[in-house]
Amino acid sequence: MICEQYQELISDYIDGLLELGEQTMVERHLGDCEPCRAVRDDLLQIVHFSHQLPEQAPSTALWSRIQNELAKEQPAGTSARLKLWWVRLRAQNFNLSLPQLAASAAALTIILSIGMIVFRHDSTTPPINEAGMAGAVTNLSKVDMDELEQQINRLSESIEQKKSEWNPELRATYERNLIYVNQSLAECRHQVKDNPADDAAQELMLNAYREKVRLLEGFESF
Amino acid sequence: MTVTAERTEMPSDLELVRAAAAGDAAAFEQLYQQHYRRVYSLCLRMLSSTTQAEDLTQEVFLQVFRKLGSFRGDSAFTTWLHRLTVNQVLMHFRKRGVKLEHTSEEGDFTNVVDTPLQSTRRISMVDRLALEKAIAELPPGYRTVFTLHDIEGYEHEEIAGLLGVSIGTSKSQLHKARMRLRELLMKK
Repeated sequence: MICEQYQELISDYIDGLLELGEQTMVERHLGDCEPCRAVRDDLLQIVHFSHQLPEQAPSTALWSRIQNELAKEQPAGTSARLKLWWVRLRAQNFNLSLPQLAASAAALTIILSIGMIVFRHDSTTPPINEAGMAGAVTNLSKVDMDELEQQINRLSESIEQKKSEWNPELRATYERNLIYVNQSLAECRHQVKDNPADDAAQELMLNAYREKVRLLEGFESF
Repeated sequence: MTVTAERTEMPSDLELVRAAAAGDAAAFEQLYQQHYRRVYSLCLRMLSSTTQAEDLTQEVFLQVFRKLGSFRGDSAFTTWLHRLTVNQVLMHFRKRGVKLEHTSEEGDFTNVVDTPLQSTRRISMVDRLALEKAIAELPPGYRTVFTLHDIEGYEHEEIAGLLGVSIGTSKSQLHKARMRLRELLMKK
């Protein structure tokens, strides 16, 4: 065999793929042929360093792009979107555990249900603004209400600044949940306005405010 | 099932897959964080383009998400993910009409060795940057076989099956890839 033929076998020789007879033949040739030894040593280097090549990293924006694509692929049903929302809230190291978040959602639903069934809203009644509540709230701590409203304002402002960077699915989920909680709050406010001495109505309204804060805190972390 | 933050030990890939399949976004993100570099590196070395590598990496993880429910744990998740990645790259090559076998008009493999057979010239100490650059300059077919065999550790039987070629062709292309790299590194 000539050098060209031996060199064709060098890769298989390095990889241990030659039959014993061929291997012996190549080794004998390498002992006598400096050019073929040079090829062998160079290929060994190349193979050795190939095993040590470091992993590369893509841009940090790649994960956001994947999340946006996944959000587009979520099924259109509300329950599926809410499920994704709850899972994301959990993933954001929200202070509450998933059962507590679920309880919070259940409380929100109960508040809304009570607001729709027990507190009948008169559509001719003019909308209540925050200032109009001052006189109606007698038993509730003014400090509690002020603190909650300040928290709501602060969180809402923060969310407004971040919202433009959210994907459409998240934005729609936020808007929809905000509508639910504001409807509930409006119902509670009406009831307190109509029955200022009703402790239960006032407690319910306070809880509705607290739920709005928890909702906004959840979305503010995105 | 969700993967709670209170666990002190790392969940296994299989646990993360099951949690992600059940809708746990945090589990899916953790799978991404643990494996995205390997997937991207493989794509980058086979494609030699950061843009294409990112696009393919994105597609791989979207496929992972869609197929989470079908992963039964018969093989390691890394093996499954690796296969998925290689298949995505090969599909990308096929869509673009990239020929992975580099042949001359006569049907034989093009001789890419420029150094005279009797030369005793050696490459200098290999540095990783030069090697990465040289790999990127290989023709697609050589680069694919070299990446799969020497970097990713595939056997010739597996490579032949993936590329639809004979084992002999896989071995031949690997040797030519290595010799071509030797030439490129000698010029640097």
